[in-house]
Amino acid sequence: MVNHPVLLIAIPLLTAFIIPIFKKYGAAIAGGAIAFNMGYAIGMFSHIYSNGKIYETIAGFNPPVGIFLAIDALSALLALIINLFAFINFVAIGKESNYKFSMLYLLAIAGSTGIVITGDIFNMFVFFEITAVASYALIAGKKDKKALEGAIKYMVLGSIASSFILIGIALIYSQLKTLNIYDIAARIASMNANIKWASFAMLLTGIGVEAEIFPLNGWVPAAYQGASEGVASLLSFAPSKAAIYAIARLMLVVFPFHATYEIALWIGVVTLIIGELAAFMQEDVKRMLAYSSIGQMGLILVAFSLASQGLKYALMASLFLIVSHAASKSSLFLLSKSEKMYGMAGKYTGIVSVLSLIGMPPLAGFWGKWYLMLSAMDEKLWYVIILIFFAGIVETAYFARYLHRSIGKDGESSLRYKAAMAAMASFAIIFGLLPLLYKIASLPLWGG
Amino acid sequence: MDMIGMAIKIAILIAYAIIGTCVGLLFMGIGRKIIARVHNRVGPPFYQNFIDVAKLLSKKTNISHGWIFDLALLFSISGILLTLLFLPIGGAQLLSMDGDAFLVLYLLAIPALGFALGAGASGNPNAGVGVMRALVMMLSYELPFVITLIALMIYYDTTSLATIVKMQSIDGIKSWAITMPPFMIAAFAADMALQGMLMEQPFDIPVAPHEIASGPMVEFGGKYLGSLMLYKAIALVAETTLFVDLFLGGGVVMHSGVMAAIINFFVWLGLIFLLFVLSILIAASFPRFRIEQAFGFYWKYEAIIAAISLIWVYIMVIK
Amino acid sequence: MLDIIFAELIVAAIITFFVREKLAAIIAFFMSLLPLLALLDWASNYGFAIINLGIESHMKIYLAGVTLHLAITPLSWFFALMILPLFPVIMLFSYSFFKENDGFFALMLLSLLATFGILLSRDMLSLFLFWEMMSWSSFLLVYRSKDRNAIMSYLIFSVFAAFAILFGIIILWHENSSLLLSDILNISGKPGFIAIASLITGFAVKAVIMPLHAWAPFVYSKCDESFVAFLAGGLSKLGYYGMFLFLFSLKGVDILQSYMTNVSWNYLLAVFGALSAFFATLIAILQDDLRKLLAYSSIGQLGYIAIGFGIGTPLAITGALFQAFNHAFFKAILFLTAGIVAYRTGKWKISELGGLAYKMPFTFMAALFAIFALAAIPITSGFAAKWLIYEAAIQQKYVFIAPIMLIAGVGAFLYSFRILYGVFLGENRHDNVEEAPKSMIAALFILVMPLMIFVVFPGYMLDLMKPALQAAGMESIAHTKFAIETSLAKYNSIAVLITLMVAMIPAFIIYKARKHRVTSFEDNYLAGEPYELHKPSMHAANNFYKPLKKVVLPYLEPGATHYFEKIYNGIKCASNAVRRVYTGYVQDYAIYVVLFLLFIVGWLIWI
Repeated sequence: MVNHPVLLIAIPLLTAFIIPIFKKYGAAIAGGAIAFNMGYAIGMFSHIYSNGKIYETIAGFNPPVGIFLAIDALSALLALIINLFAFINFVAIGKESNYKFSMLYLLAIAGSTGIVITGDIFNMFVFFEITAVASYALIAGKKDKKALEGAIKYMVLGSIASSFILIGIALIYSQLKTLNIYDIAARIASMNANIKWASFAMLLTGIGVEAEIFPLNGWVPAAYQGASEGVASLLSFAPSKAAIYAIARLMLVVFPFHATYEIALWIGVVTLIIGELAAFMQEDVKRMLAYSSIGQMGLILVAFSLASQGLKYALMASLFLIVSHAASKSSLFLLSKSEKMYGMAGKYTGIVSVLSLIGMPPLAGFWGKWYLMLSAMDEKLWYVIILIFFAGIVETAYFARYLHRSIGKDGESSLRYKAAMAAMASFAIIFGLLPLLYKIASLPLWGG
Repeated sequence: MDMIGMAIKIAILIAYAIIGTCVGLLFMGIGRKIIARVHNRVGPPFYQNFIDVAKLLSKKTNISHGWIFDLALLFSISGILLTLLFLPIGGAQLLSMDGDAFLVLYLLAIPALGFALGAGASGNPNAGVGVMRALVMMLSYELPFVITLIALMIYYDTTSLATIVKMQSIDGIKSWAITMPPFMIAAFAADMALQGMLMEQPFDIPVAPHEIASGPMVEFGGKYLGSLMLYKAIALVAETTLFVDLFLGGGVVMHSGVMAAIINFFVWLGLIFLLFVLSILIAASFPRFRIEQAFGFYWKYEAIIAAISLIWVYIMVIK
Repeated sequence: MLDIIFAELIVAAIITFFVREKLAAIIAFFMSLLPLLALLDWASNYGFAIINLGIESHMKIYLAGVTLHLAITPLSWFFALMILPLFPVIMLFSYSFFKENDGFFALMLLSLLATFGILLSRDMLSLFLFWEMMSWSSFLLVYRSKDRNAIMSYLIFSVFAAFAILFGIIILWHENSSLLLSDILNISGKPGFIAIASLITGFAVKAVIMPLHAWAPFVYSKCDESFVAFLAGGLSKLGYYGMFLFLFSLKGVDILQSYMTNVSWNYLLAVFGALSAFFATLIAILQDDLRKLLAYSSIGQLGYIAIGFGIGTPLAITGALFQAFNHAFFKAILFLTAGIVAYRTGKWKISELGGLAYKMPFTFMAALFAIFALAAIPITSGFAAKWLIYEAAIQQKYVFIAPIMLIAGVGAFLYSFRILYGVFLGENRHDNVEEAPKSMIAALFILVMPLMIFVVFPGYMLDLMKPALQAAGMESIAHTKFAIETSLAKYNSIAVLITLMVAMIPAFIIYKARKHRVTSFEDNYLAGEPYELHKPSMHAANNFYKPLKKVVLPYLEPGATHYFEKIYNGIKCASNAVRRVYTGYVQDYAIYVVLFLLFIVGWLIWI
């Protein structure tokens, strides 16, 4: 049953096109599709987890025309996270959404899932476009001034980004006449050095806009602030994670060079510091969380760049960081619906999320920081370690302030909302206690 | 044999407790006489304080303010006797082998704290203020005192008062600490601290009869005041003895033999009397400091003087 | 057996989260006895004297792909005896302290679990895991206070400490490629130095050594007293546990010395300890908030332990451990007393309290005992501890530290009296105050017991810590049941106590010879004038040490907190500068994108 990962993309895409026909039941249909996707992603993940296998399937035509999918433990995990959190998020916000929203939501999920499971660089571009367009619309869907501002900023930068991605792909294609990532990786040495670097720069810049790395993330604060809570939550776990995965995939498979590693490392560190510092003085909760996301993405990039040097601990670190960030940030964005935390569920969701982000064991965020430190120590990156510590303390300071501000019992919310938040945050605990991610990092990786 | 030894020791301890009390009361009487003479008065007879204590203790009307108030009586007398017995007195070691100078410093706090508890329990605001002043005074004079104490301790490489006395009495008067230049300075600082310890002018701030109605003892009368007088008498002996032990070889000039013991005893008596007279004369000639002035005096000038001696000694020792 | 205890504690924590407060207190009380009983059972199997077999009861926990090694060692045994008894006592105390169950007992059980874990850890990862678990469980307890300064300072300092410890751990891991504590033996030079120094810095935050103490006054003065009793009594000891572990048990002192042989590194610790003893005492004297006073007094008293560790001779360490033991109990009593006072009167300001001693005599007696121990009066075990540290300082001829800590000891009398007089004595201002509930009194007197036992038998305490010292390669100092002997002098507790009792006889005779009657002081002082007429304030408690304040205060300002605020403001400035990068204009962002591209291309092609 799990042999057709193309369904992960196809079902939400098709459903999205069906929804306009059944407007009234749009949300319900979308919910069903997402539930299916989640179930499928879980099945696929557990299969890969227990067998340690890699799927490579071709849907329809042969590459480069058809959709070439390549799924290893890493992408299965990402697909799992995206679909799982999409489902939980939809539980919280699905009831109040109309059919347009549901449709866009499905498109964003399909696109993000596509990015992580595709093995074809052009398909990746297409999925980026789908995700991005859906995201613009979702952000603007709140229909107030701030939402529009965020959407427009995102759109402008997103358009520039896609053109860069396209140019990057074109450069590669002009040299190697292939779009298959595996193929590119095998023959990357035969490329003209300058064109190789230029294409890497284009791809990094293009995808970097989606992955919120500095200084390409000008849209982030405005978009997160403008979007509704559910959408902000979605943005924090689906497109950004898919994009950082794409960068990681390129670095792990296509460009495993020392120069690219160094660039990614330092960009990651700078993004981390800038993001955390910018969040420090932020009064608006959503903007603060957005800047904090930027910082976290920087940290994940650092982890991935170390992983591209073949450090096992670094890969583990990045997995833990991704999970921790997805779980914490999505629940915190849902929580940001009101000024205060709602009741007991809200309080403990907020606390668990924050504690995971600042790295308290045994939550997932702790293991992320722990393995990141170990691998950075292996590379003797003293300054990086100290900078990460500094960023961590800054992060702690503003989260402590956040926790203090949001003490209170007002802002009651629906049970679904609370349950969704709690469920999301609980993944920070579950992944922290189970040796799941630990084992994934030791499974064989596609193209690695 | 051991039992007899114990009995003899207990008898000696009791004897010294009684001697200490009597000497203290006697000195207080003489002190009053001296001050009167300085002030060009006749003054009370030298045994006046015995009469006072006897009268107070036999009063039939005694007013208490509850059981915590009574602690003042119990702790002040027992605590100060305890302190006295842990000091070597004129060559007699008493209990000083079972403790040391630090213990004596802290034992001195027992009667003071008991006294302070009683004063506090009386509920009179003047008592509270008085105790506050006493404690601030304590903080003030302890700094120079402690520094000189440490100078002695590192020089003799011991903290035991008995050992300090023993090492100073090797050559009689010649080996007394005060004969060495750094300890002359230290002795000056310690004597000033002693003035504060004895609560004599210019450091009688805690009692200050004209300002806060005798401060801590404002609510004390009858047997309570009598016991406080006893406490003060014994404290006088204990504190001067501490100084004598530290700087004047404990008054030991001879070794071994009954004769030596008697001579040492009288040397000790003479020395503490001299110290007491000195402090009385200072008291008679100076007006009272304010508490901030006293604090500044001890923590600035006295502490610097004491620190000089400490540094001097330290340099001597590490060479 | 240990894994069952861990599991039971977690289950109990979950249960106590949901039941009513009284039931939660009962469950928590019995559950918190478990670790202690387990240790006692273990000790009775192996014998109390030869407990340094530690490594034998080895246990492993598998968590998220890593293995945690746990075992009982002589050191953890000693610290467990010091810290673990506080938990059941606090649960007993809290039986009637809380009006509703808002998670206190559950979090305390988690703290207990973490404490137990820290003490048993035999590898650095599990030490760190449990350490952080302790941090967040105590943070959640701090979080209940809802006070901004407490929450922020505690979390920031905890994370700072965690990072410092983590930094040390990863360096040690890198040098040894092992996380087991038993493997940290032969590293030296710069990495070893940095690792040990940063570990000590991290532990110093929890051990509240100045200038890393800035969180403590906020936290101690704003949280529930029953929790603060653990925080001041128990948690701070864990900081010293870590220090002892890395400095002495694992020979960190030698690692420090091997880096630069001509500098005595642990002397630095002693200096910081002495300074915190001195300054914290002076600040404590000037406080009016009872809890703040106790907070600073804690910092001061803990400074002595740091001094002991800094001096580093067996004598000094014996004193430091003794002081740690005493402090755990007397500071817990004092904070619980503050809790009782607040529970009955709702006030914390000393100047608003007064005259409670006759209303709550048992509370007063317990507090009096704790204060005697704090002020090191030789009728409690507090004296022997400080005496040992003084002796050690004189023995090593530390002429800078010795006077400072002696004068800090005198300063302790001042704030002790402030508590006694301001809260318990003086004018009675509370007519309808009752004695505390029985459970609270029982809790207090359980804590008083060790202070009374170890004053009579200071030798027993030395016997208790002997295995820990031996495991660290140190000889226990000469002692009998009653007497401790050093190269400098001897202290015989029984001589002091018996003489005091005998000396009580004349005092008692004088006391009993004449009768007395008890009257109110107003009869004397106001000459019988009706007191209600004027209602003058008869309590000299407002701005008590005013003359001292005038002199001392200028030297105490601006204080460490000021500098931490400066750092905080510096980060604020940096933050504002960074935020200017995000101009809000999409044109700028587009330019950033292009510039970034050019930068990357430039880096890759030209560099």
